[in-house]
Amino acid sequence: MVKKRKPRPRLNRKPIQRKPTLPRLVNHPDPLVSIIIPAMNERATLAGVLREAGRVHPLSETIVVANGSTDGTAELAEACGARVIRTPEPLGHDVGRRVGAEAARGQALLFVDADMVIPARELRPYVEAVLSGVDLALNGYSGPAGRKEAHPVVLAKHVLNGLLQRSDLRGASLTAVPHAISRKGAETVGLEALEVPPLALARAVLLGLNVQAVHTVPVGKLNPARGRVRDKGKRVDPLTALVAGDHLEAIHWLLRQQGPRGGYSDLGRQRGKVR
Amino acid sequence: MIMETKHSIKPRRKRNRRPPVRSRGRTGRMNNGLARKGHRLARPIGRKGTAGSSSLQRLKSKALAAGVRAAAESKGAGQGSPHLQECFREWAQAERIDGMPYAAILTAALAYRRGYAEAAGLSSTWIPLPLKGSASAIVTASNEEKTLPAVIAELRKLPLKEIIVVLNGCNDGSFTAVDRDPRITRLSFPERLGHDVGRAIGAATATGDILLFLDGDLSVAAEDLAAFLLAVDRGEDLALNDLSPYLPPFSQQDEVTRCKAFLNLALGRADLKANSLTAVPNAMSRRALRTMGTAALIVPPKAQALALARGLKASAPISVDVIRKNRIRNSNSGAGNAVAKMIIGDHLEALGEVMKTEGVRLRFTTLGRSQIAKMRNAR
Repeated sequence: MVKKRKPRPRLNRKPIQRKPTLPRLVNHPDPLVSIIIPAMNERATLAGVLREAGRVHPLSETIVVANGSTDGTAELAEACGARVIRTPEPLGHDVGRRVGAEAARGQALLFVDADMVIPARELRPYVEAVLSGVDLALNGYSGPAGRKEAHPVVLAKHVLNGLLQRSDLRGASLTAVPHAISRKGAETVGLEALEVPPLALARAVLLGLNVQAVHTVPVGKLNPARGRVRDKGKRVDPLTALVAGDHLEAIHWLLRQQGPRGGYSDLGRQRGKVR
Repeated sequence: MIMETKHSIKPRRKRNRRPPVRSRGRTGRMNNGLARKGHRLARPIGRKGTAGSSSLQRLKSKALAAGVRAAAESKGAGQGSPHLQECFREWAQAERIDGMPYAAILTAALAYRRGYAEAAGLSSTWIPLPLKGSASAIVTASNEEKTLPAVIAELRKLPLKEIIVVLNGCNDGSFTAVDRDPRITRLSFPERLGHDVGRAIGAATATGDILLFLDGDLSVAAEDLAAFLLAVDRGEDLALNDLSPYLPPFSQQDEVTRCKAFLNLALGRADLKANSLTAVPNAMSRRALRTMGTAALIVPPKAQALALARGLKASAPISVDVIRKNRIRNSNSGAGNAVAKMIIGDHLEALGEVMKTEGVRLRFTTLGRSQIAKMRNAR
């Protein structure tokens, strides 16, 4: 049976859906906090990310490093009032962080990604830690570790922290966002080291900076899986090998600094006894 | 009531978390010394219900009869372990036993031995094995007079060419605890050589095609050691002890275990998990020893890294629980102990060594940073 629709006056009419208002960012001329957001084709989430960024600290600037974007990411960021650094070509994974850090003027550099919206109250602890003396304020998220074998990246992060005698950091890493770095910290490790985050972490620990996991945001659930390629029949993310390899670069640097055993004793092996 | 049920569930769940070592495969149901608590002897035989065990039964009776025949044919003269070994090797080759899973080979070997011993009137404990190459065992010990005799006793059951005992820094009766036997070579050093140095010295002296390494402080059943010998004899270059069943979840693993897993992963062998030459028992081929050099054995993870980087064959064919049985000393217990730190240093040394030839990023080779960005974020 087909029900005939009766004409009825609409009393409770929904308001017409308007485009959501864009966040209005105010970049302080002499900022205390610089929020650095590398973005490549992230128009879908960028407005939300910028809105939260604007709520982190009153004396802040927001820098969007729009690289290789073809979807209007840069224009959107500009419309919101962010400082925008444009490059036509993709800078590459983590390279945008270095570019943003070079342009930053604040004393605390907060790094977030453009592809996930993290509420400002979850970002403030990192900034507050840096403003009160921490040099590297890391995300305490360690990744899933309930099974016997961990994901290669999770394993690499734990191993590197252990080798740096910082097992207390567990799987916390500069690879994961959000994190904040003091200006002194960034200058000590060298801005170019920020392109290889595990290397920057290793340098920070060995050079005696104050490195702490200050707050935990479970970014694993927020991170979208993408760009999988087939390798031996399995779908793998090429980023896994990149990040795991970054950890080897950090270990290589550690070995160059501390000698072939990384400063660990061999408990007096009589190596000369073996022909 | 509800509280009670909750309490009764909790401990049970904890127990379940322990590795189901015993129930794995069909090894739990076999006797002849094959089923021992805490040991996984080999991969399950046969996939289908009773088919596997009945064919195993057939194999057993066949081996028993062959053993009886072998003893009867020789009639007293020349009976003994070399004769048993030779007869079994020929029979195993003829019956194509050598291609079977370890558990089947062991079952056949033990049944053959029983038949042989009964017919010859000997109380034999030897385990004949279908080995193509010769095998040397290397035992390192430092003040282990209590455990050393048991270790040697297990080794003497095996068809080994030689047993090399490297004693160092002993001020107890370790030297006299090793009996005199033409098969046993005693190397004694008054001073402590340090960790794993004895292994390298023993390996330099060894002449066999297969080298089996173990420590003097822990006796491992000959049946378990046999699997390592068989694995190398069949073409593996490194046969590691599979400690995975005894490991806790990743969050509770120690630094050393994680380093071991990371080294394997970095060399493209994630399938080896956290198994390492650092753990005994393990065995290697002469080809492996030649490839990595005797001196590399001083730092076992370095030897392993070199072997994996050069593409040698490695696997972990069997599990022997050395964690629970290991003697607890002040220096090797607790987090951050001296031995653990040394092993971590060994892994750094290993990584540094292979980075020289394989590049800093080892097997984690991938596209450039910007190419990956393009792949993941391009519109």
